[in-house]
Amino acid sequence: MSADLEFENLVRLYYRDLYRFGLSLTGSEADAADLTQETFYIWANKGHQLQNPASVKGWLFTTLHREFLKTCRRQNRFPSESIDERMEDLPNVPAECADRADSRTLLRILGEIAEDFRAPLVLYYMEDLSYKEIADVLALPLGTVQSRISRAKIQLLRRLSETNLPVEHAK
Amino acid sequence: MNTRDAKEILLLYRGPIDDSDPQFRVALDYAKSDPELGQWLREQTKCYDMIRAKLRAIEPPLGLSEKIVRRRPIPFPRDWSRIGQLAAAILISASVTALLMKWSERRHAVAGAQEILVTGEVLDMTCYIASNLSGPEHAYCAKVCIRNGEPAGIKARDGKVYLLTGEPGQSINAKLADYAAQVVTIKGKKSVRDGFAQLQVEEIRKF
Repeated sequence: MSADLEFENLVRLYYRDLYRFGLSLTGSEADAADLTQETFYIWANKGHQLQNPASVKGWLFTTLHREFLKTCRRQNRFPSESIDERMEDLPNVPAECADRADSRTLLRILGEIAEDFRAPLVLYYMEDLSYKEIADVLALPLGTVQSRISRAKIQLLRRLSETNLPVEHAK
Repeated sequence: MNTRDAKEILLLYRGPIDDSDPQFRVALDYAKSDPELGQWLREQTKCYDMIRAKLRAIEPPLGLSEKIVRRRPIPFPRDWSRIGQLAAAILISASVTALLMKWSERRHAVAGAQEILVTGEVLDMTCYIASNLSGPEHAYCAKVCIRNGEPAGIKARDGKVYLLTGEPGQSINAKLADYAAQVVTIKGKKSVRDGFAQLQVEEIRKF
């Protein structure tokens, strides 16, 4: 297969996933598209250095996340915060509650979660990556990743349940 | 293990994808013996599937994959001995070209060039000509393209587009990248050939 075709196949295979990851991180369609393009641009220049072809997906996600962090540092966005959610705070969210929220609402709620916690949570929900792979993508210890996903998930579900309160309760 | 411990572990459980992960095994067995926990787990998994489906339903903008493929840098064969030879050839050729340009510059003093001021948006010419991309939404891409050596231009208020260049043999891209998609005023020497206008930049002022 020619290099051009290989590149096109790789783009076709992963650009949607990368775009969604970028959109969840930035909350902006234009920034997500730029991050996706930049990731493949870097792949075209440096992808040949990757020894194990099976880890292409992880490499692409790591690169996009790194580029996102670089942009954040330049713009001094998303100062590091912590989430103080405990298991006791986990609300009983019926599945219908998640069903009522549309993608835009979910993205908005995700955008309200601190960046350090949002990235692992997004990978947890969107990609079929093992916890070890998520930890590798984000260059974090496995325990940290799992703890961040747990706390961020509690926060997401709690906000989701608040968003979906019936009108008379919301008042 | 009690119900609370099991819930804490199973909060991370996503369904079949995590079935082979040993950390969930004991908690999943426990859920089988606790109907209330089992019900909670089913609800959690269903909720996970719904959120996942909603997020995965987001579609990228039309034409993004084509744009990525189009912007792919040309692959470069990495045979280091040949790269060394090529680098030496480029160096010699660039030196000769620079000398010739200096000589030519002195002879012709930018023949027919006229010093003008142009106010307009700094463009990444590749994306502009191929895909009509410009403006603040394209700023990040334009910046990256110009920084990486793609030709830059300026679109004047009257709609005329000029290719921006530095002194002969000197790239001005690093400087122009900072102004990508911004409106600036550029003072420079205009020259036109075959209907194609070029501005040799002397000074840039942020509008």
